[in-house]
Amino acid sequence: MPRTSSKKGSRNSTASYSSSTMDLFRAASGKIASKELERIDQLFYSYANNSDTIEPEGIESLCSDLEVDHTDVRILMLAWKMQAKKQGYFTREEWRRGLKAMKVDTISKIKKALPELEKEVRRPSNLVDFYSYAFRYCLTEEKQKSIDIESICILLDLVLGLDFRPQVDALVLYLKMQNDYKVINLDQWMGFYRFCNEISFPDFSNYDPELAWPLVLDNFVDWMRAKEG
Amino acid sequence: MNFRIDPFKHEVVVNPKYADNTWKILEHAIRDIYNHKASRLSFQQLYRNAYNMVVHESGEKLYSGLVSTMKSLLQEVCECIEAAYGGSFLEELNTKWIDHNEALQNIGDILLYMDRTFIPRTHKTPIRELGINLWRDNVIHSSNIQTRLLNTLLELILGERTGEVINRGLMRNTTKMLMELGSSVYQEDLEKPFIEVSSDFYGLKSQEFIERSDCGDYLKEAERCLNEEIARVSHYLDTKSEAKITNVVEKEMIANHMLRLLHMENSGLVKMLLDDKFEDLGRMYSLFNRVPNGLSMIRDAMTSHIRNTGEQLVTDPEKLKNPVEFVDCLLQKRDKYEKIISFAFNNDKTFQNAFDSSFKYFINLNPCSPEYMSLFLDDKLRKGPKRVKEDDIEIILDNVMRLFRYLQEKDLFEKYYKKHLAKRFLSGKTIFDDAESSLIVKLKTECGCQFTSKLEGMFTDMKTSQDAMQGFYAAHGAELENGPTLVVQVLTACSWSTESGITCNLPPELSALSERFRSYYLGKHKGRILSYKTNMGTADLKAIFGNGQKYQLNVSTYQMCILMLFNNADCLSYKEIDQATEIPSSDLKRCLQSLACVKGKNVLRKEPTSKNIEEDDAFSVNDKFTSKLRKVKIRTVVAQKESESEKQQTRQRVEEARKPQIDAAIVRIMKSRKVLDHKNVIAEVTKQLQSRFLTNTGDIKKQLESLIEREFLERDTTDSQLYRYLNTIP
Repeated sequence: MPRTSSKKGSRNSTASYSSSTMDLFRAASGKIASKELERIDQLFYSYANNSDTIEPEGIESLCSDLEVDHTDVRILMLAWKMQAKKQGYFTREEWRRGLKAMKVDTISKIKKALPELEKEVRRPSNLVDFYSYAFRYCLTEEKQKSIDIESICILLDLVLGLDFRPQVDALVLYLKMQNDYKVINLDQWMGFYRFCNEISFPDFSNYDPELAWPLVLDNFVDWMRAKEG
Repeated sequence: MNFRIDPFKHEVVVNPKYADNTWKILEHAIRDIYNHKASRLSFQQLYRNAYNMVVHESGEKLYSGLVSTMKSLLQEVCECIEAAYGGSFLEELNTKWIDHNEALQNIGDILLYMDRTFIPRTHKTPIRELGINLWRDNVIHSSNIQTRLLNTLLELILGERTGEVINRGLMRNTTKMLMELGSSVYQEDLEKPFIEVSSDFYGLKSQEFIERSDCGDYLKEAERCLNEEIARVSHYLDTKSEAKITNVVEKEMIANHMLRLLHMENSGLVKMLLDDKFEDLGRMYSLFNRVPNGLSMIRDAMTSHIRNTGEQLVTDPEKLKNPVEFVDCLLQKRDKYEKIISFAFNNDKTFQNAFDSSFKYFINLNPCSPEYMSLFLDDKLRKGPKRVKEDDIEIILDNVMRLFRYLQEKDLFEKYYKKHLAKRFLSGKTIFDDAESSLIVKLKTECGCQFTSKLEGMFTDMKTSQDAMQGFYAAHGAELENGPTLVVQVLTACSWSTESGITCNLPPELSALSERFRSYYLGKHKGRILSYKTNMGTADLKAIFGNGQKYQLNVSTYQMCILMLFNNADCLSYKEIDQATEIPSSDLKRCLQSLACVKGKNVLRKEPTSKNIEEDDAFSVNDKFTSKLRKVKIRTVVAQKESESEKQQTRQRVEEARKPQIDAAIVRIMKSRKVLDHKNVIAEVTKQLQSRFLTNTGDIKKQLESLIEREFLERDTTDSQLYRYLNTIP
């Protein structure tokens, strides 16, 4: 952490230097960067089978090298860091973006950086972004706008399970039980996040159905209240 | 020469005894005045005496002499009055008061000069006022008179309240005297105690009276008391007392008993409403109106009564059996309260509003109300045995429109109305063309032209169909002279929600004719599609039975197709008929049932005879058919009201049709507002749509979410309560 921040600091301060000194710095750091980039690319091609993308099989072997399950939330975090567009695929550009930002270029470094990445994601300012990214990442088809209930339940558990365990459990139970909705769209998905953050659980004392909550949450609260008594 | 003229110096010699002597003369005169001997006096002489006294500095003596003389005279008067017996007390008091006034007048004349000069200069009380003050202090406020006077007055008033006749003139004079002595004297010596005593009196009276009388009688009595007190004031009290005494009656007789009066069993408000007691209700209104919150109590009681009885009415299973009777009951109820409010409740707007909202409440409790109202109109506008007079129809329409305004699901009404109107049109059963179009105009003013556009389309179709038929027969009439007559009604599919695709095989004569019309029509209107709805028409058939009897049969198109088969066959099985006509089986069964199983109309005979149609049955012409009438109308057995499942379907269709309307409203609003918060969106959408149906928040939310998904709107990323209109629609 301190290393990263000091580097960041030096990079930011370059703005105030004269252009000649800046060039000097750029040349020096450029050399280091190109070496680093070389190693990053090397690692990329070891999984990409000499094509321009790491495909699902490549990701599988990456996971086993990292000793995490491919359904583990940390893989989703890695994808978030890379801003990967398509589920199950990493392009070279995405790979570079992610690894450079994490300052890693070997498997063992990635492995070591994972806990740090997890902390970063859990920071509130990042969590919303990660949360909405997780939804978009799961849209695999062209023009697909919503995700089936079953996948939504898994995803909810994955991304919010740690912070909002009781809410997620109740919501998943409800979603699997109800028949009104077969899919969930992004608006509803973002509604879940707001709901977990803002609404007192399990008494829902500050829940106002007159506000713009998605209907599915109105129904959820009704269902919970009916169940309670 | 200079002359100077000096005035003549007159030496005035004043007798030192002059003042004393002169006063003696004056004092004597004053006493004479009080003793009715004034006629003997020379007022000029006396005036000069008094003048001289004032001029010669004896004003003070004159004034104080006057005061003490009057005092002693009034004490004598006092004794006189005290001595008066019982009833004559007041009379004596009055006589003496009149005397005193007269005396004051005379004394004033004599002492005029003092009144004009000496008194203003020395700031003393003028003579008339002095006389009144002395009367007040020495007579009215003397210990023996003050209480006796009050008691006498109060006793007399009580006497009058209990029916005695009293001398009002005397009362009037007495109270007038008190008023002349100053408003505080009147108030302290009479008004205050009068109000207190009255308060006790009416408090007690109301308690007793309410125990032994019903609400109507009690209110009558309260009104009588009120009027009596108002009359009393006008007869012998100060007008300012009116507000005070009516206040007492209002509080004691009305305000303290309002709840009890309203809810009196068998005579309270409910009973009055039930029995249309306009007079009693009007009395209650005007009496309660005098009391704070009085009217709102009546209004609340009325509201809850209307709600309760209305709820009973719309949920009464007996009433629900007959839609016409159901709506009749609603109309009667509305009419009843309209009368009550205008005759008894002074056309009070707040009552009218309370009534409207109660009606709105219960009429919408029953989801069938829209359907029944349309059925009611159908009954009135349809040809039938109980024909309504043309003049009355307009009144009926207006009344139904008033009920219509209470409906929340106006679109459901429209659905049913359209269906019933179609039936009337197509069966040629509508009698009042003017009334039909007048109703459309009314609906249009109420709900806008979008609401009635399809209904208007139906009108246009009826008109153009007539023209088309005329054109057809003008073109082909000659060649068709000997065949059957065809009447086609050309209906625009989107205006008439007819079921699609059901046709049957027409008899060859007719199918040729109808094809001919088709080619005529399509020749006129290129690019249209014409399909025959054989399930909706009627036919008139000439039939000659085996016994030679001729009849004209009025039947449905389906029935006509069945009967025509018997021109070429004596006996047909169900299956043969089915094959030949291809009428859908449920309809076929119903048609056969009404042709073969209805007593008196059974032009067909069925083997075996039974109530229901089975697939193995065989049919033949009933040779023994007879009827008193030459024209026989054979109805198909149809359900008048919708069955439960049909109702469900209609409701579903209506609800489905609401979604695009909600969408349109949201988009309209968001297009003009660009950004708007959730609560306002809900409020505005509800407002825009309320003339057609009542939306609930859930339905609007659903459409909002769907519009977000379809990218007409987006939710603001920071404030989740805000919606943004997206201008990216291609």
